[in-house]
Amino acid sequence: MEASMESSDGVDGGTMGKIDLWHGDPSVVDLTNRVHLLPCVVKHDGPCPISHYFKPRKSDLVCDGLAVEEAFFRGRKLQGVTVSIPEGYRGYVLAKKKLTGGSDMEANSWVSNAEFQNITYWNHDGLPSKQDPLTRCFQWFAVADALHEPITKEELAFASAAQDN
Amino acid sequence: MGSSPIPKWASRPCVMGIDEAGRGPVLGPMVYGCLYCPLSYQKALETLNFADSKTLKEEKREELFDNLKANASIGWEVDIIDPRELSAKMLKTEKINLNEISHNSAIGLVRRVLGMGFLLSEVYVDTVGDAEKYRNKLSEIFPGIKFVVAKKADSLFPVVSGASIVAKVTRDRALRGWVLDETAENMHNKFGSGYPGDPQTKAWLDHHKHLVFGFPTLVRFSWGTCTPYLKDTVEVLWECDALAEDSTNNGSSKRQVKLSKLGFIGCKRKSEDVESSGKGRCKFFSARKLELVTHFK
Repeated sequence: MEASMESSDGVDGGTMGKIDLWHGDPSVVDLTNRVHLLPCVVKHDGPCPISHYFKPRKSDLVCDGLAVEEAFFRGRKLQGVTVSIPEGYRGYVLAKKKLTGGSDMEANSWVSNAEFQNITYWNHDGLPSKQDPLTRCFQWFAVADALHEPITKEELAFASAAQDN
Repeated sequence: MGSSPIPKWASRPCVMGIDEAGRGPVLGPMVYGCLYCPLSYQKALETLNFADSKTLKEEKREELFDNLKANASIGWEVDIIDPRELSAKMLKTEKINLNEISHNSAIGLVRRVLGMGFLLSEVYVDTVGDAEKYRNKLSEIFPGIKFVVAKKADSLFPVVSGASIVAKVTRDRALRGWVLDETAENMHNKFGSGYPGDPQTKAWLDHHKHLVFGFPTLVRFSWGTCTPYLKDTVEVLWECDALAEDSTNNGSSKRQVKLSKLGFIGCKRKSEDVESSGKGRCKFFSARKLELVTHFK
């Protein structure tokens, strides 16, 4: 299946992009339970023996119904929880699509090579909670749905009637 | 941890010594140990040949530890502070320094022994930081106990010498039997003493350095002696450090520019418009760190 994304950029005056999501393809790597979001930037891009060094373990703490895990990175103690990506949504790992030619469209072409259904995010100093930005991000889905819902005739009539009054 | 059922002498006035082992080393746990006995046994304690643990050979320390464990007139306890905990506390946003960690450990030991039902009347402590301030702190928490806080208490008072043996032997054993968290190949346990000047410790640090992870969690990342080793590892920038710098530097710190360059805070922004762009963004999005991205990188 191929989905495409278009976006416009107010500064540049409009660009086009394309993302191929190989949804349902059995060859796509499933990274569920393996995606971690750390509260830091690691200036490294490449393979890394994570499972030999990064050893999350269960703690006795529970926060907003989620089991808190503990891990250490570079001497810092991290506390994290694993949150599911809401129903109907999915996480993707994108890579630049290799294309020949050089149009703008091709320069902004991406392909997903892995997917995930949950993410473990880690806080430094402070327990994870429902107030964390990542958890609250998911609220956008409901707002976006409401914003993009087509307006029915009745609603329009109701709104204009309200304005007339 | 030490003694079995509570002895009869517990209700008689007791004296206790507290000392630490493994404060200086760059790796492994720090151990606080205490030794206590009835005041009336203090004279006998002097004949047991306890001396500052550093002046004794390892075999002698082990032997003295076995003797004191078997002695019915002596009790002992230890507090083993994990290196992960040491690093974590010292690198938190609200940093806890080593003196405070040490004080808390000693206070914990006094509390534990009192809780077990021993009547402590005198406690001798090897000082950490200013002796008088430390003594006042302890006296305030435990008004019924007479505290003597002194430099080199471990060589002045046999009860502290005994505590230093308890601490040192426990630290050595803990390090000897240490099981590394990390499971990478070619790791070994030849840590040496753990002191940064020890060639064996230096060799171990060199061998176990990792580009991304720095060191195994046995190492105290918060120690200054780690810094030269970490220089040629991958740079790691922490969100909380950036925020701390941000608040002192009024929003356009170097670090934040670095972060934004990496697509961490914004996308392709110049430092001067970080603030204005943030302002333009709806509060709903900025609170969730959400941003419209038109160009991935």
